[in-house]
Amino acid sequence: MTDRDVLPFPAPDQDDADIAARIAALYERTPATDATQADRCARAVLAQAMHQSSRSALGVSRTRWWWGAAAAAVLITATTRPWRGVVSTQEADSAVGRAIAAATLSGTVTPSDSAVRFDLTLPTSASAVAIVGDFNGWDQNATPMASRDGTWSANIPLTPGRHVYAFVVDGKRWIVDPLAPQVPDDGYGPANAVVIDGGPQ
Amino acid sequence: MLSVTMLALAGQLLGAAMPLASGTDVEHGRPSATSAEQSGDQSGDQAQPPVTFDPTRFDSLTALSLRSFLDSAAEQGLPLGPLINRALEGAARRVSGARIMQVVRAHAAAMAEARAILGPTTPVADLDAAATALRAGVDEKALSAIRTSRPVGSVVIPLMVLTDIVQRGVPIIAARDAVTTIARMPSSDDALKGLQAAVAKNSVRGPGMAVDALNRYLRGTVSGGNPPSAPATTDRKPIRPPSP
Repeated sequence: MTDRDVLPFPAPDQDDADIAARIAALYERTPATDATQADRCARAVLAQAMHQSSRSALGVSRTRWWWGAAAAAVLITATTRPWRGVVSTQEADSAVGRAIAAATLSGTVTPSDSAVRFDLTLPTSASAVAIVGDFNGWDQNATPMASRDGTWSANIPLTPGRHVYAFVVDGKRWIVDPLAPQVPDDGYGPANAVVIDGGPQ
Repeated sequence: MLSVTMLALAGQLLGAAMPLASGTDVEHGRPSATSAEQSGDQSGDQAQPPVTFDPTRFDSLTALSLRSFLDSAAEQGLPLGPLINRALEGAARRVSGARIMQVVRAHAAAMAEARAILGPTTPVADLDAAATALRAGVDEKALSAIRTSRPVGSVVIPLMVLTDIVQRGVPIIAARDAVTTIARMPSSDDALKGLQAAVAKNSVRGPGMAVDALNRYLRGTVSGGNPPSAPATTDRKPIRPPSP
């Protein structure tokens, strides 16, 4: 049995033109759509959808857009809390600031008469932190920092002038204070720089 | 390969046993009195403690190469302390000997360039800071402007601040104008440190904020001074142009 035997319509090479002519005639007989009528129809459907009740709560039936607007208003009010006082706002902001500060690394350099105090606060725990720089020959074992209340500190007598330094955490990870002056990564990695007053003027 | 290693070991032994080239005190990171006088370096390394070159911190080949290079740098009158410090930092960070040599050579070249720009009598600390600035992308014109803004005295702090704020995204021209403007003021070191702190704090907030902080700080520091460029951001509301 061949395909030609099972097909329910005549072979395309014989009747294509005939079928096409019949379809074309069918479309020509269809009446043209009235644009005004189609527009009126669409407006009616939209109007019904806008005012259709979606659900009722506490016996109150409202449209969909009403419930959406109410939910948005509640959300905005709960978020902004306009009844909150200025003091409360400042406290919240400072709490955010404290949280950000606790999550980031920070360091301070405090020169005094006899030495320079380096403080470093780490966002994560560490078992040992050392400060290395041109003042100790970049020796990790030369100047370990002491931990107190989560802050690592070291007092180092430095000569006046510019010094380059970095911190070594757990003997492996080299870090720098992100806000202190930095010297560029010249092939090794970044480092901090500090100038002790009293240098050559 | 074996012969090279043996040669290096022999050289290191010889280097330890024999005095280095005349006029050089590589062990203590400074040219001898003779070469210091020849180079016009009269700062005497007062600001920097003597740095000791410890060959045991390096592998034998690197130690030998460093000795040789430091010797030639001393002959050119370059201060050896900053170069030895670069080498020791590389050893502490456990980078390869080739990388250490590359960094030390680049720093020596930058110091020679900085000396040509700032003058032969420039103190070691200034040379070191200027070389660092050059390697950070600061151009020759900016270095000259810094020197001109403060013809007498150290330029370490202006250079350090310039290097830092350029690294934090401030364009070189804006950074140079701001630093030289402040550096011309009397007792301006604290103001320059404040500029660095303001830029550093704001640069983490997003692109353009470093320039904005610089302009705001400059306007607040220099009364009546014009900002070097338009601020990147502003608190003022945009003004809508009148409709035709």
